[in-house]
Amino acid sequence: MIEQFQHKFTNSFMLWFDNFLMTKGQAYESVSGELYPVLDERADSDYSIYASSFKEWVYDSSMGDIVTGVIDGSGNTYGRNDGIIFDYNNGRTLSTGALIEPVTPLPATYLKKEFNIYFTNDDEDDLIVDRKYEFGVNDTGAIAPYDLVVPAVFLSVNGVNNDPLAFGGEQETKVTAKAVVLAEHPFQLDGVLSIFADSQDEVFKSIPMSGHPIDENGDLKGALDYTYTGLASEYEGKPFYINNVTTSKLTQRALKELTNELYVGFIDFDIQVHRFRFS
Amino acid sequence: MRLPADVQAAIKKQLPKLIKRPFRRDVDKRFKSLKDKMIKEFLNHRITKEIQEGPQGSASGSLNGVTNLFAFIGFDDGDDPIAPILTIFENIKITQDTEYIQKGVGRKYKIDFPTAQEIFDVTPMPWAIGRSWAQGIEVGISGLGYLLRKKAKGSRSGVAIQSSKQVRSAKFKNTKYISALINKYKKRFDKLK
Repeated sequence: MIEQFQHKFTNSFMLWFDNFLMTKGQAYESVSGELYPVLDERADSDYSIYASSFKEWVYDSSMGDIVTGVIDGSGNTYGRNDGIIFDYNNGRTLSTGALIEPVTPLPATYLKKEFNIYFTNDDEDDLIVDRKYEFGVNDTGAIAPYDLVVPAVFLSVNGVNNDPLAFGGEQETKVTAKAVVLAEHPFQLDGVLSIFADSQDEVFKSIPMSGHPIDENGDLKGALDYTYTGLASEYEGKPFYINNVTTSKLTQRALKELTNELYVGFIDFDIQVHRFRFS
Repeated sequence: MRLPADVQAAIKKQLPKLIKRPFRRDVDKRFKSLKDKMIKEFLNHRITKEIQEGPQGSASGSLNGVTNLFAFIGFDDGDDPIAPILTIFENIKITQDTEYIQKGVGRKYKIDFPTAQEIFDVTPMPWAIGRSWAQGIEVGISGLGYLLRKKAKGSRSGVAIQSSKQVRSAKFKNTKYISALINKYKKRFDKLK
């Protein structure tokens, strides 16, 4: 099937949300430390995998230092030209062959996201009550690659509705999207809710899935100088407009019933765009 | 026969004051009748009735018979979620009664009619600050309130907690509620001027 409106919206919304949170909230932090050897049944067995104690590494170079290489225990440096793959989403590197330990990232201090961003079709109750999460940082080793790690934001699209707008078939397409925010403390939660409460009247570009900067390994498709603003500037066309945003959070009483010590918030977006059907 | 200009001017000046009482009596009667009709329609709404049945209510058809709406939203025994809405509707008043002078002779009334947002502001979800259950009826409610309430009950009484998988079939179907009622009656009240 070829790409449809909802695919494009999902891609555009997720990229915008991630960038908006990092830009407005500086929701990233400098980290350093060893990369630990891990096994991953899903990865090609030819790869040696070295993972950090954190999940998502920042890959937007406009935020600051991103990981662009590794250094082994003998002081040899390796980069993309040496076959190193950077899996930014899982906070790890894949190399065709074992490296001498300890392996550390280059630069030694780099950025990780404060919130992991996921897209989901799960309901709120699944996300909040049933799901088990790993917490932020593993102090003694690598964090498992596919575990859901908090703090996190889970994005979803609730519904799409078309209303006729103009002669000739132009529609006003309204999308209701939602973010469930799982934070470690109230300051963090209130920060995210405040940033997105203020996102009303913002616009963001429509970016097709082919424009997504990350490949199937979690590495950047292009050069290691990716920026969201640079990517967005490549696309023309009518942007998505954030018409209304409502934020809310679980009461203290409700939080007591959760197994995990999480602070939970919700962001409901009403987003609209003027378009022709099937475009 | 055309009335002299000074007589026309005198009528135009005196008539609004003369008709004030009989007009007001008539408007008050029609206003009260419309307000009563609106409140009656609200109280007879399927959602209002289900919520008013409280925790002992029968299982809701809109939730596939799994539970009742009161419990699904997560209210506690003793809560009266309908009362704040009813108070707002009962407080709808004619706030101004002025001469109508643009075209012809008459009186103009201003009615303090609530917006849907004002209703949403007084109907908080029992488990979330900033969310309205009344709005949730229109745009969707997850089973979160029900699950949290179940967990709270389970943790206090030692009863097994129903997992969300069992609650899954109780997915709520969005229903036209406050916004539709407000839109319908705002138009009708506007015609009272």
